[in-house]
Amino acid sequence: MKYKDYYATLGVARDADEAAIKSAYRKLARKYHPDVSTEKNAEERFKEVSEAYETLRDAEKRAAYDELGTHAQGQDFRPPPDWGSAFGAGAPGGAGGEGFDDIDLADLFAGFGRARGARAANAPIPGRDYEAAVRIPFEAAYHGTELELDLGGASIDDEGRVRRVSRPVKLRIPRGVVDGQRLRVPGKGGEGLRGGPAGDLYLDIRVDDHPLYRVDGTDIHVDLPLAPWEAALGATVKLPTPAGSVELKVPAGARAGQKLRLKGRGIARASGNGDLYAVVTIVMPTVIDERARELYAELAKASTFDPRPQFGGS
Amino acid sequence: MQPELVDALFIDDAHRFTITEIVHITGLAAADVTVLVECGAIAPQDPGAAAWTFPAGSVDVARRARALRDEFALDDVHAVAIIVRFEQRMRTLEREIATLRARLG
Repeated sequence: MKYKDYYATLGVARDADEAAIKSAYRKLARKYHPDVSTEKNAEERFKEVSEAYETLRDAEKRAAYDELGTHAQGQDFRPPPDWGSAFGAGAPGGAGGEGFDDIDLADLFAGFGRARGARAANAPIPGRDYEAAVRIPFEAAYHGTELELDLGGASIDDEGRVRRVSRPVKLRIPRGVVDGQRLRVPGKGGEGLRGGPAGDLYLDIRVDDHPLYRVDGTDIHVDLPLAPWEAALGATVKLPTPAGSVELKVPAGARAGQKLRLKGRGIARASGNGDLYAVVTIVMPTVIDERARELYAELAKASTFDPRPQFGGS
Repeated sequence: MQPELVDALFIDDAHRFTITEIVHITGLAAADVTVLVECGAIAPQDPGAAAWTFPAGSVDVARRARALRDEFALDDVHAVAIIVRFEQRMRTLEREIATLRARLG
């Protein structure tokens, strides 16, 4: 496995005390936390500093990390024989220490704490809850979808040995999820120890914007462009909806900004679907030929309509 | 072998969580959960009840408080609760902006 110099990551000396390590981490967290950082690669850097702090803040993990010795950043290395047994963490991989190549340094410390607790109490330990951010297209959110995630990572067996495993899971996302919604997948979190139940998986759903549809709660809005004569005389137009196109009867005298409601064609909900609103916009042709110009001139002459009454006479 | 297909579920807004359950799920201490209540970040269903219960949304808020505390190495849960309140206000404003954008086109 590759060596990671956690002290260098935090910018502290190897004999730094707890307070110095915490202070260094806080500065870097403020700089790289994805919620507040504008730095390039902030998320990746935050993961690095978090991993370093997670190990160095814990006295036992730090002692175990120091026992690994000093190596160059990124250097291939193996823990000394019997490493970890002094800390109750068990050996990485199998009894012969095989499988180092596919283990991340952080995996070595994944069993700490939990293995200590298990040894002390011999009680079942529930698995941790996992969280995953998932981005899906609008259509997938509207209709529901299936997707596959790999929840792989470090797995701890009952002897506290660490293995890196792949855990593919296929998820059915229900229809009607909206951006920012959270879903729960029971039992797909971290494995429990000593017969403890598995944790749950929580999904933070992000839905891509759609070029036509705008979501407002459980309602959907779509612009309905009309030619001036369609708005004036009424028309039957083809309107796209997420469930397929419909023929929409536009009443005569439609105005810009007016909303035509299609009940129940919004986002699906057990308590009742939202609605879809076609929002009228009036669109002028970009090229007006001579005949159209004549007709507009005739209309201008015949009409007494004042579009600017608030200006007090034109 | 294809992995088994499992359902992702809407979080049941009708379920009520005890402080003990919130502590178990989030890793916060019971005293921390009380601080979140005192700062208005979460609210029990019935503040006058002998044993408080909380709606599902409170678990998410408590989970977020725990994440902020750990990710920024904050010692003061009271400060964390205040940050959570600001975040809640920010999310409300973001939703209002999205609603207005949808209506205005």
